[in-house]
Amino acid sequence: MLDSIKRFFSDKKSGKVARDRMQIVLLHDRLSIEPEIMENIKNEILAVLSKYMEIDHQSISVRVEQGKDYAAIVSNVHVKRVFRQAHTHTTNTG
Amino acid sequence: MPGKTIVITSGKGGVGKTTTVANLGTALAMRGLSVVMIDADIGLRNLDVVMGLENRIVYNVVDVIEGRCRLEQAMIRDRKINSLYLIPAAQTRDKDSVMPEAMKRLCDQLAENFDYVLIDCPAGIEQGFRNAIAGAQKALIVTTPEVSAIRDADRVIGLLEANMLKDIHLIINRVNQKMIKRGDMMSTEDICSLLSIPLIGIIPESEEVVISTNRGVPLVHDRKSQVAAAFKRIAGRLEGENIPIPLDNHEGSLLSKVKKIFGAG
Ligand SMILES: Nc1ncnc2c1ncn2[C@@H]1O[C@H](COP(=O)(O)OP(=O)(O)O)[C@@H](O)[C@H]1O
Ligand SMILES: [Mg+2]
Repeated sequence: MLDSIKRFFSDKKSGKVARDRMQIVLLHDRLSIEPEIMENIKNEILAVLSKYMEIDHQSISVRVEQGKDYAAIVSNVHVKRVFRQAHTHTTNTG
Repeated sequence: MPGKTIVITSGKGGVGKTTTVANLGTALAMRGLSVVMIDADIGLRNLDVVMGLENRIVYNVVDVIEGRCRLEQAMIRDRKINSLYLIPAAQTRDKDSVMPEAMKRLCDQLAENFDYVLIDCPAGIEQGFRNAIAGAQKALIVTTPEVSAIRDADRVIGLLEANMLKDIHLIINRVNQKMIKRGDMMSTEDICSLLSIPLIGIIPESEEVVISTNRGVPLVHDRKSQVAAAFKRIAGRLEGENIPIPLDNHEGSLLSKVKKIFGAG
């Protein structure tokens, strides 16, 4: 299945191949995030999640995952407890 | 009002920075503007031979910065145009002999007396690059439709932005419409959308560039050259003229096919 897709795409013109490859390469290059910025990203993720649940701040990991034809930001956080209000859409003004 | 200081940079070598500085500088000066070009490629001096001024060099940019001569002594006037000057690179020094602060002072000083200060940047992203961008308010990124040039351009754009130099425009050089039409070259739209900075001009690939470099006479002096016309349009756009950039879209290739059918291609 994958092979047949590959064979199908190998008929693509080299200009298109170059463009598609560059889209991924530039994405990967731009995702080589500096440590300080990565630290900021972590803290901001923690801040957002903390509004809805109690989480283990030590447990967070954020990394860039680079596959052959995709790039992703993968974050893992241990949840200790979920606040009940997270299930309703009311905002807590008390 | 002080003049514009513009660095011409690319990351990758051999993509046409020096060619662009020589032709754009000449094109701007042909419009009656005063222009000084600084060769910041210390140790690999080239702009002088491209301009045909190699026999007139006495002092260079490092001599100015280190106080061995006055600024005017290092400025070489063009053979044809009175308002065009070159400050050559040092050939024997290594590129670490200059510091960004000194380059910035030099550029500021020149901008007081010239409409344009064009800085020919060395390849790479080390000290020589940092020197070349230090005094610039604006950057022109030169790339070619090749993967390595585009990747390096993207890296350099990131570095410029990190250095608070955010007025950046793109020049795509060595565009071969025949190859684009048959699908074997990235289109100019593809390149623009990959790099996502505004385009200021497209320069066709042409043997004329090599021939004019052989002679040491910038191609913009040739009235019939398409490359010359492309550089002149960039000069116009820098001057704020609203000159549309013809892109090589699919309509274009369809139109040319239709023309061929009707014998007009
Ligand atoms: N549009 C073009 N068509 C054909 N050859 C070109 C073109 N632009 C540049 N060249 C050639 O490419 C080579 C590198 O150009 P140069 O301006 O010296 O690049 P850089 O300063 O970026 O290293 C030179 O031999 C030059 O003549
Ligand atoms: Mg050069």
